[in-house]
Amino acid sequence: MALNDKEKERYRRQLNVPLWNQDKLRSASVFVAGVGGLGGTSSLYLALAGIGRIRVADRDRVDPSNLNRQVLFTEESLGRLKVEEAGRRLREANPLISVETFAEVIDRTSIGRLAKGSALIVDGLDNVQTRFILNEHSVKESIPYLYGAVHGWQGMVGLFNPPHTACLACLLPQAQTPGPEIPVFGCLPGTIGLLQATEAVKFLMGVGRTLEGRLLIYDSRDLTFDLVEVAKNAACPVCSRPQK
Amino acid sequence: MVVFFRAGSELRHRLKPDVDDYTRRVETTPGKSVREILKDLGLDPALIAFLYVEGKVRTLDYVPAEGQSITLQPPVSGG
Repeated sequence: MALNDKEKERYRRQLNVPLWNQDKLRSASVFVAGVGGLGGTSSLYLALAGIGRIRVADRDRVDPSNLNRQVLFTEESLGRLKVEEAGRRLREANPLISVETFAEVIDRTSIGRLAKGSALIVDGLDNVQTRFILNEHSVKESIPYLYGAVHGWQGMVGLFNPPHTACLACLLPQAQTPGPEIPVFGCLPGTIGLLQATEAVKFLMGVGRTLEGRLLIYDSRDLTFDLVEVAKNAACPVCSRPQK
Repeated sequence: MVVFFRAGSELRHRLKPDVDDYTRRVETTPGKSVREILKDLGLDPALIAFLYVEGKVRTLDYVPAEGQSITLQPPVSGG
């Protein structure tokens, strides 16, 4: 279906970007798991880019300690459900798209329903255990998983697309748990969330070289970017097993 | 032989860098794995989430060659 006048006007500055395909973005559906620092940034830019259907899930309420980095929230958001605030902000940012919100835990029983129909799972989480659940679902259903994480001065982003590439468990065979509260420089989730949104848009449009099979590691303290290949692990506890 | 360990994020202070802010020069015996070298240095391999050498992710069983730089990555899991 051709873009209508509102869409042509809203997306005018990106429609002329070489290789841009707004139709593919408009018909795409993505699942953003968590709408804190990473997911708040990525979902905002995915909404602005015109991703047609964005599903977001997060069970948490906005806490004062979120406000150094979680750009969808303000002082007025304190105590409210993150997905309700995020849903409102995303719909305000782009009323031409569909935003579905789920205030619930992401676990092995809910992930199938939450990610249903999504072409991509975008990681906006704050713990490795739930990332492993996303990864298992990604492997089981062959849905690409756009990983992101931050700690201190450092962040990383990668695109796992099993069975074509390694999965998260090829990189991290076992979950390692840091201390109870992870220190985070407030700019970092913004940087990594934007890189995730960038990779998501490229992947959905089929443009350029994405991070499939690779990991970008950013250290803001020294302004270094390391790009490394992640090979499939023949003994991976997740993706080397027969699926379904 | 000499290899170089780099450490990201919170591992730096444990590595005790001496080349620059995040690199340590290490003299070791050829044929030793990263895991064995880390133990010689008094570093617990359990602190490492993954490591990479010359742009490729490797395991703790990787045996480095003379002069190689091995980057040690601690867990990164916040959001």
